Amino acid sequence: METKPIVKLQNVTKVIGKKKIIDDLSLDLLPGQITGFLGPNGAGKTTTIRMMTGLMKPTSGEVFIDGQAISTNFEESMSKVGVIVENPEMYKFMSGYKNLVHFARMNKNVTKDRIDEVIAQVGLQNRIHEKVSTYSLGMRQRLGLAQALLHRPKFLILDEPTNGLDPAGIREFRMYLRKISIEDDVSIFVSSHLLAEIELMCDRIAVIQNGKLISIKEVKEEQESHYYVEATPKDQALGFFASKNIKVEAYENGYLLPIETKEVPVLVAEMVSNDLQIYSLHPHRKTLEDQFLEMTGGGQIAESHKK
Amino acid sequence: MLNLIKNEWLKLWSKKATWVMVVLIALLMIGSAGITKWMESQIEPSENWKQISQSQVKALEEQMAIPNLPSEEKERIGDQLALEKHRLENDVAPISSNSVKGFLNTVPEYLSFITLFTVVVAAGIVASEFSQGTIKMLLTRPVKRWKILTSKLLTVEIFATVISIIMLIFGVIGAFIFFDSAPGTNLEVLNGQIVEVSFWGRLLLLIGLSLVNVFVIGTLAFMIGSVFRSSSLAIGISIFLMFMGVNITYLLSVRFEFPKYILFANTDLSQYIGNGRPMIEGLSMPFSITVILAYVVLFLVISYWSFTKRDVTA
Repeated sequence: METKPIVKLQNVTKVIGKKKIIDDLSLDLLPGQITGFLGPNGAGKTTTIRMMTGLMKPTSGEVFIDGQAISTNFEESMSKVGVIVENPEMYKFMSGYKNLVHFARMNKNVTKDRIDEVIAQVGLQNRIHEKVSTYSLGMRQRLGLAQALLHRPKFLILDEPTNGLDPAGIREFRMYLRKISIEDDVSIFVSSHLLAEIELMCDRIAVIQNGKLISIKEVKEEQESHYYVEATPKDQALGFFASKNIKVEAYENGYLLPIETKEVPVLVAEMVSNDLQIYSLHPHRKTLEDQFLEMTGGGQIAESHKK
Repeated sequence: MLNLIKNEWLKLWSKKATWVMVVLIALLMIGSAGITKWMESQIEPSENWKQISQSQVKALEEQMAIPNLPSEEKERIGDQLALEKHRLENDVAPISSNSVKGFLNTVPEYLSFITLFTVVVAAGIVASEFSQGTIKMLLTRPVKRWKILTSKLLTVEIFATVISIIMLIFGVIGAFIFFDSAPGTNLEVLNGQIVEVSFWGRLLLLIGLSLVNVFVIGTLAFMIGSVFRSSSLAIGISIFLMFMGVNITYLLSVRFEFPKYILFANTDLSQYIGNGRPMIEGLSMPFSITVILAYVVLFLVISYWSFTKRDVTA
C-alpha cells in the first residue's frame, strides 16, 4: 500500500495477571477507511481499544498514531485521536455546551466557532444549553460524537457507537461517518456487536478472538456465490444434486447450492425435466453473522439486538 | 495548565454541593456570631477588665508561691503575671470576648469546617471521575496524566483558600452585625519583653497556619481518593484521622517517644505561636514543618504513581 497507515499496532501484547488478554496483535488502519472490529465477548476488543486510546499500557509492543508512539509522545499522538469509549459519559451536572467547552480546553486550537459548528453537525443546537442529565441516551451519543470531533481528529475510535440511537439517528450517524471518512480522510475504527450495522458501515472488518486477530477482510470482497433452492420431493432432489456432484447444505426449508450464476438456467432445466417441483430459487448472500459464526466457531455473540 | 485548572474550577462550581458548602459557611459564621452574642448577654454584666486583671494577678501570685514548681511552669506563670501587671500599669485593655475583635479571634477555631469541606472536595475530585465514568473521556485527551492530577490538586488547594477567605468575610460580617468594636490589645512575652501583637496580623497568621493543616488533610484525602478511586472511603478515613488522629497521638505520646514523628502531632502549627506550649514536649516549628513536608511528599508520590501508572479499567 502506498498510503501510510494512520494507526499502527505493532506486536501488541497485554498480560493481566497471568492471563494473556491480547496476544501479539498487529494491525494497520489507513486514512479514509472505516474498519469494523468484531469479536465474541471477552476476545479483547475493549482492551485493544483502551490500549489505542492510552487508557491502558501494552505489556509489550507499541501503538503508533501517525508515526508517533503513544507511550513516548502521548500528547502529540492523542491530539490526532477522537474517542467515544462505550457509552459517552459526560458531566451530567453541566450543560452540553459547558461539557464541550471543557473538552475543547484540553485540546489546542479549538475555537468557539468550531464548537458551534460541531454542535450544528450533530444536531444539538436546541438543547445544548440544557444540563446533560436531562438528555436522552441518543442525545448523549450525539454529544459524545461532538466531543470526539472537536479537534478534527485524523483517527476516530468508536466503541458501540449506535447504542441508544433511533433508526433515523443510526442512519444519519452512518452517513456522517462515511462523509468525514471520505471528505476529511479520517480513519475510523468501530467496535460493535451489531453485525448488520458493521456490515453497512465498514469497508473492512477485523475479527479478534482470544486476543488474536483471526481475520481481516474487505466487506465488498467478492463473496462465494450461493443459491438457495426450495424443491420437492426432497429425497428426489437430494438424489439429483448428489448425481450432479453438487455439495448441498440444508438451509431453512430448502438447500444452499454453491453454484455460479451462469450454471443456474441449465440446472433449472434439468431439475424440471427430473420432475422436481421448484418453489423458490434465488441468490443467497451469506450474512456477516454467518461468516462471523463460522470464523469464531460459533463463539457466543453478546447481544443479538434482534427485535 | 491554566486551562485545566479552569476546567476543574468549572466542574467544581457546577455542582450544587459546592454552593451548599458556601451557604453553610455563611450560616455558620453569622449564626455563631449571633449565638456568642446571646451567650454573652446571658452573663452578668461583668466588672471592668481592671478588676478581672487584678484578681488574676492575685491568683497567679498564689500559684507562684507553691513550692517545688517545675521551672517551665514557673516561667509560664511568671510571663502571665508580667503581662497582667503590664496591662494594669499602662492601662492596656485586653480584647473582650464581647466585641468584634473578640469574635474574630475565634474564627481560626472554625477552620475545622474548612478541613471537612476540603476533604469532601479533595476526596471526590479524582474519585468522582471514576464513579461517573468520565475518567475515560478525561484521560483520552492530549494531556499527560500528571498534568491533569496537578490541576486537580491545585484546584483543591485554591478551593480551600477561597472558602477560608469566604469564612473570614462572613466572620467579619457576623462580627459587625452583632458586636461593638470595643478597643482591646493582645499582648505577649517575646524574649522577656512584653510586646503588642498586631490584631489582623496575628489573625491572618493563625488562619494561614490552620490552612497548612487543611492542606495536609486535604492531600491525604486526595491520595486515598486517587488510589482507591472511591470518595466515600477517602472521606471516611480522612475525617476519622482528622478527629481521632490528634487524640490518639497525644495518648501515645504519654508513653512513647515515636509519636512526635506522627503527622498529627505536627499539623497544628499554631501551637508554636504566642505563649502556648506544644502538645508534645520538645516539638518545634522547624521540626514540625519537616515532618509535614515528608508526609506530604509521600502522599503526593503515591497519588502520582497510582494515577499515572495504572490502567483505567472502569
